[in-house]
Amino acid sequence: MSKLLYKELRLAAHPNLYVFTLLGALVLVPAYPYGMVFMFGCLGPFITMNYCRETNDLYYSALLPIGKRDIVKGKCLLFAAAQLGQVLISLPFAFLRVRLLPMGNPAGIEANVAFYGFGLIIYAIFNFIFLTEFFKSGFKVGTAFLLAIIPTFLAVLAMEVLSHIPAFAWLDSVQTADLLRQLPILLVGLAVYPAAMFAAFRIAAQRFEKVNL
Amino acid sequence: MLVVRDLTKHYPKFTLEDVSFSLEPGRIMGLIGRNGAGKTTTLKCILNLVRPDGGSVEMFGRDFPSHEVTCKQRVGVVFGGVDFYQHKRLAQITAVTKRFYPEWDDQAYARYMEMFALDPGKKVNELSSGMKVKYMVALALSHGAQLLIFDEPTSGLDPVSRDDLLTLFQALVKDGKRSILYSTHITSDLDKCADDISYIKDGKLLRSAEKSEFIRSFQHLQQEDEKGELTLEEIMIRTERMSYHV
Repeated sequence: MSKLLYKELRLAAHPNLYVFTLLGALVLVPAYPYGMVFMFGCLGPFITMNYCRETNDLYYSALLPIGKRDIVKGKCLLFAAAQLGQVLISLPFAFLRVRLLPMGNPAGIEANVAFYGFGLIIYAIFNFIFLTEFFKSGFKVGTAFLLAIIPTFLAVLAMEVLSHIPAFAWLDSVQTADLLRQLPILLVGLAVYPAAMFAAFRIAAQRFEKVNL
Repeated sequence: MLVVRDLTKHYPKFTLEDVSFSLEPGRIMGLIGRNGAGKTTTLKCILNLVRPDGGSVEMFGRDFPSHEVTCKQRVGVVFGGVDFYQHKRLAQITAVTKRFYPEWDDQAYARYMEMFALDPGKKVNELSSGMKVKYMVALALSHGAQLLIFDEPTSGLDPVSRDDLLTLFQALVKDGKRSILYSTHITSDLDKCADDISYIKDGKLLRSAEKSEFIRSFQHLQQEDEKGELTLEEIMIRTERMSYHV
């Protein structure tokens, strides 16, 4: 597994993926729709998959002593490494933000427990649709992205809009009591993300087995 | 080394039909046919890059699809030179590739890179076509590949580079431990270095045999006033010749 990820990080990943992963730090911006952080977490893998197509990455991978399933596994690992890496990078900035900018984020949801829970769900939606669609052909990156980014964007929009509705004001809070109330959303995110990734891997691998390279 | 039986693949407008041949250790087999005859499809089916609809591939005495990973450990493949990661340095590609081969030999790799005058610091797009093939050969030999599969390795090369590569092919099989299967439509390459010939026409295998036997089997194409054996090029041209009624 480590050699698959190593290969993805050294040869397959576009430099842009690293830059977008670092954008987890955007939660330190005083007024910003933080949902964009997760959009960047989806754009990074998309640009990398475009790059993979241009560099014939799948072709190189297919000649290695691995099965076609492992090629799909490598991409799943890369997506997970970038997205979870982005979340981890953003966490210290989210803590720092509460200390440095206690007045809150006027542009959208706070970088709180619910935010990260929603984020994992947003990633899950994107990954499942993108990966299962892309590995139908092994080259139609644009179609896969278009199909995946629309529901992903709607989920981001829903997160941002909800935090502006008075009844859901607790979603836009960093008070301890509200953070505890948000905890179930994080738990759902923590369950949905790996489940969606695993399901995406299984379906995508099955589809890719039938693809003629 | 390699046994292909009744390999079949259906496409909407093309069918590869019942292709069968076998390759023994220490031999070079040329897979010939005109453009679009099914040579690349055959090689891709052998390696499971294209999923065959029928037939079987046995490599090193094992069923290839069931032992794909272990078989690939002993295979080196070159499809049209290195056409991946054009902007990466050879050292970077090697650093990744070697991790997938438990039998990887760093000393052998350094030796082959030097022998082929390849600079690990160069980027793929800085290599000539011939050098790209040699880099892939260096990678294959460094993990102890016994079966080398090339798709049109000499296409686009100048005569000197082609001759150089063919000389290398002969040296590779000299000890009888390695075999080479390569597709080409440049029949003069085969005159120089093939031991066996397999000829594919319109997706069907016309004949697969040891070279001199192969040539003899096509002598019926010879015209009455001709003397001596037909060359591979003449065999191909006469077999494929079309007539136009315009």
